[in-house]
Amino acid sequence: MITSSRFSSLLALVIALTGIAPIFFWIERFPQLVVVAALLIGLQQQWRGEWQITNRQFNLALVPVFIWYLLQYSRSNPIQPVVSVLVIMLAARLIGEKSVRNLLQINLLALICLASRSLYDLSPVFLLWLAVMMLLLPVSLVMLTFAGQNSTLLLGRRELTRLVVAALLITAATLPATALLFPVLPRTAFPMWQFLAAPETGSPGMSDRVEPGSSANIGTSRTLAFRAELPRQPQPPYWRGTVFNRMTGNRWVRDAERSTDRVTPTGTRISLTIYPEPSSSLILITLDAPFGIDSARTRMMPDLVYELVRPPGKRFSYTVQAATDGLLRSKDLPRQLEQYLQVPAGLQNAFVQQGAEISKKGRTSADRLQLVEELFSRGGYRYSRQDLPTGPDALYRFFFETRQGHCEFYASSAALLLRLAGVPSRLVGGYLGGEYNEIGGYYLVTEDLAHVWVEVYLDGKGWQRFDPSRFAVNAGAVWQEPARATLGMRLRYLLDALDYRWNRAVVTYDFERQAEQVRLAARKLKDFEQGLSWKQLIWAGGMVIVIAAVWFLKRRIRLLHSPEQRLIRQLYRLLSKRYGRSVPVQELGLFELAAATGDPLVQQFADLYGAAVYHDRRLNPEELRQLRRLLQQLARAQQRP
Amino acid sequence: MERLPAGKPVATLLATLCSEHLQGKDEVVRLAMIALLAGGHILVEDLPGLGKTTIALALAGVTGLSFGRVQCTSDLLPSDITGLSVFKRETGTFSFMPGPIFNNIVLLDEINRAMPRTQSAMLEAMEEHRVTVEGVTHPLPGPFMVFATQNPSDQSGTFPLPESQLDRFLICTGIGYPPEELERAIIAGGGIRERIPGIVPLITPEQLLDARTVVAQDIYLSDKVVAYIHRLVLATRTDPQIQTGLSTRAAISLAQAARAAAFLKGRDFVAPDDVREIAPAVCSHRLVLRTGLSGQDQGALLRKIIAAIPVPLA
Repeated sequence: MITSSRFSSLLALVIALTGIAPIFFWIERFPQLVVVAALLIGLQQQWRGEWQITNRQFNLALVPVFIWYLLQYSRSNPIQPVVSVLVIMLAARLIGEKSVRNLLQINLLALICLASRSLYDLSPVFLLWLAVMMLLLPVSLVMLTFAGQNSTLLLGRRELTRLVVAALLITAATLPATALLFPVLPRTAFPMWQFLAAPETGSPGMSDRVEPGSSANIGTSRTLAFRAELPRQPQPPYWRGTVFNRMTGNRWVRDAERSTDRVTPTGTRISLTIYPEPSSSLILITLDAPFGIDSARTRMMPDLVYELVRPPGKRFSYTVQAATDGLLRSKDLPRQLEQYLQVPAGLQNAFVQQGAEISKKGRTSADRLQLVEELFSRGGYRYSRQDLPTGPDALYRFFFETRQGHCEFYASSAALLLRLAGVPSRLVGGYLGGEYNEIGGYYLVTEDLAHVWVEVYLDGKGWQRFDPSRFAVNAGAVWQEPARATLGMRLRYLLDALDYRWNRAVVTYDFERQAEQVRLAARKLKDFEQGLSWKQLIWAGGMVIVIAAVWFLKRRIRLLHSPEQRLIRQLYRLLSKRYGRSVPVQELGLFELAAATGDPLVQQFADLYGAAVYHDRRLNPEELRQLRRLLQQLARAQQRP
Repeated sequence: MERLPAGKPVATLLATLCSEHLQGKDEVVRLAMIALLAGGHILVEDLPGLGKTTIALALAGVTGLSFGRVQCTSDLLPSDITGLSVFKRETGTFSFMPGPIFNNIVLLDEINRAMPRTQSAMLEAMEEHRVTVEGVTHPLPGPFMVFATQNPSDQSGTFPLPESQLDRFLICTGIGYPPEELERAIIAGGGIRERIPGIVPLITPEQLLDARTVVAQDIYLSDKVVAYIHRLVLATRTDPQIQTGLSTRAAISLAQAARAAAFLKGRDFVAPDDVREIAPAVCSHRLVLRTGLSGQDQGALLRKIIAAIPVPLA
C-alpha cells in the first residue's frame, strides 16, 4: 500500500533521473553537481517528508543563475546555457516541496531535458531513454490526477496495476499517431551541437595528400568512416577514394584530371550501398572499381574519383555499381602519359639507379611490374606505424635502410620506382578491408583502415591495381580478419547493427526512399496475391466489408442525432466545463440544472426546450434558433466569467 | 405562467404560507400542497414538537378549508372518528352526528397509536372518500386530505402501519429541525400557534378544486416521462436490496405527485426533474427492504437507484 502523493513523488524522481541521465555527460560541471545534489536532497527530504525552503525562496535564488546563463548565451554557444538553465530548474524543483503542480513541472522539465539530448547527439540510445520516459510519464500523469483529488488516497497492488495498465494503454494509443507524424515532421541529420561547434579533428584517415615521412608515428583511431552494405567478399575489399597523380618532393598530390580516357572496370558487377559518417570531405568512397553511383550532385572524374559538388549538409547514402577485379580496362595509352611518369627533381641516386636497372631488365611494363614486386617481396620489408623515418629523405631511408613503414611508404616508393622504370603509375587513396557485420550485412570501415595503393598502366590491358604493402613480411598479421568473432565482438556488432538501422530508418529517413519501399512492397504483394486462393480472398474481403459497414453505421448513427440531442449535448458540455465538479452536471435534469446553476439563461433554455420535448413534440425552427442563440450566449458568458 | 391561470393563486398561496407563516418548513409545506392538489394524503414522520400540527392548521387556515383533529390512542374507536347516530328524544329519531373526519383537512395525530381496527376504518375512508355508518353511506366533503403524523422514536405500545396501509399515503416525509437562525427567531418570538386563528384564507375551496382539476387533466405527462417512471419502478423491483419494489399504484401516485409538482412550478407539462424531485417522498415508504437491511435508509437507496437511471433529455 502506498499513498498516491508518495507514489507520484517517487515516480517524479525516477522521471527526473530518466531526463537527466541521457544528457548528464554532455552538460557542464556546475549543473552536473547541482543536479546530483538536488537528487540526493530531494530523496532525503522525500524520506523525511519535510521541506525547509519554500518554492518562492527557491525561485528567487534562481534569478541570478538565470541572469548569469543569459549572459553566457551567444550564437556560437547557444546550447549549453539553455540546457544548463533547464537542468538547474529541474534541480530546484527536485529540492522543493512536492505539490501536484511541482510534480507536473518536474515531469515536463525532465521531458524537455531528455529532448535536449538530441541537440548533442543523435544516437539510437535516445530512443531507449525516450521509450522509458514515454512509459513513465503517462503513469505519472494518471497518478497525479489522483493525487490532485486526494493526496492521501491509499493504493493497493491491484489498483496500482490497473492504473499502470491504463497509463500504458494511453502510450500504446499514441503510437499510430507517432507513425503518422514521423514522415511529416522535419528532422536534422546532425545534432545541433556538432553542427555549430564542429571540432576540427585531425583524423588519421584518408587525406587529400600522401606524404610519407611527415611524422614518426601514426595514431590509430577506430572512428567510423562509413558502412557499406554488400555481401561478404572473399578478399578484403579495396575502397576507392581519391587518386594522387603528381609527386613533388616526398609528397603525392592530386592534380585535377583533365583527360577524357575511357576506362571500364572488369569483373562481375555488384551493387552496394554506402552510408558515410558525416565529414567535411567531398570525396565519395566507392568500391574499387566503380561503374557509377546513383547520387545526384556528384562529379565523376575520368580516373573514377567521385566528388560531391557541395557539402551534403545531412546524412545521406548512395548506391554504387562496381566490379572488384582490380583492372580498369583501357585500350589506348593514357593521353597524358608524361604526367604519370613525372618524378620530383633532386631524387636520390639510389632510386634513379634502381629504376634504370628495372627498365633495363624488363622489356614490357608487365615484366617491370614483376621486378618491382620481387624487390618488395624479397626485401624483407615490415609494415609498421611506429618508428617511421622522417625528413626529406624518409622515402629513401625506408626503401634502402629501415625497411619499415606503412602503406604510404610502400605505395610511394613502388610508384616512384615504376615511374623511374618508365611505367605509368599513380597512387589511389582509400580504405582496405573492414569488419563484416553478419547481423547487419555490411562492412564496417573505420578510419584506421585508410590505405594507399598503386595503379599501374600495363600496355594493352589498362590500369592494374598493385598493392606493394601486401609484400610486407607481416602483411598477413596486419590485414587478416579475426578468425572467429568473440562474444564481445558479436555484442559490438549487434549494437552497431542497431545504430546502423537507426541511422538508416530514422536519421537519414528519406520520404522518397520509403515511398519506393512501399511501391516495392506493393509489387511483392501482387506477386504474392497470385498465389492466394479464392477462399482467402473472399474471407479477407468479407472482413473488410464488415469493418466498413460497422464504421459506416457508427457514422450514420452519429449523423442521425436529432437537433435536440445535439443541443442538449452542447449545453451539458458547456455547463460541465463551466462548473466542473461543483455541480454534477451530467447527473441532473434540465430544470434541476437551471436551479443548481441559478443561471437565467439555463432557465430559459430549460423552459423553452422542456415545453417542446416534454410535450412530445419536435422543436420548431424558431425554437431551435432561440435555443442556439441561448447556447451562444452561454458560451460567451463562459469566456468572460 | 400564462399557460396556467389556475396555478397563480396556488403559487402565491404557497409562497405566502412559506414566507409568512411557516418559515423553514418550505419542503413539508410544498409536499403537503402537492398531496392536496393531487388528491392524496400525507404522513409526516418526525419527533414531537417540530410543528406537525401547526403545519396542518396553517394549511387549513390559508386555504379556507375546514379542519378536524383526531388524537389517536389505543382505546380510540372507529366511531370516534367517523361519528355515530344519536337518539334524539325530541324527535324520537336517530340522527347522525358526523365525526372529525367530516372535514376537509383531518389531522390524525400519532396514527400508529390507534388500534389496527380503527386504523383500517380511517384508511378506508381515505381511500373511498366516504364513510358508511350503520348502513348509511355518507360522502366526505369536497377537497379531503388526511394529514397523519407518527412519532418514529417512541415505539412502545404502538401498532405500526402495515405496508398495505402505508401505500395509501401519497407522500411520507419528515420535517427536521428548522435552520439555526430561524430556530433562534422562533425561540425569541414564540410559536405561531396563537396566530393561526387569525390567518386569512387566500383562495376559496372552489379555486382549489379548479386547481385539482387542472392538475389531474391539463398537466401533460409525456411518453418520455412515463417511460422514465416505468423504468424507475422496474429498477426498484430488480434491486437486490429490495424485497418488494414499487406497485402500480405507487407508479400512479408518482405520476400524480409529479403533475402537482409541475403545476406548482407553473409548468403545464411534467419534466423528469419533477419525478426525480418528488420520488423519494412518494416512494421510499413503499419500499420493503430485505431482512437484515431494514435499518437502512430507504430514501438514500431510492436516490441511488434514481441516479443510475439516465434522465430522458431528447
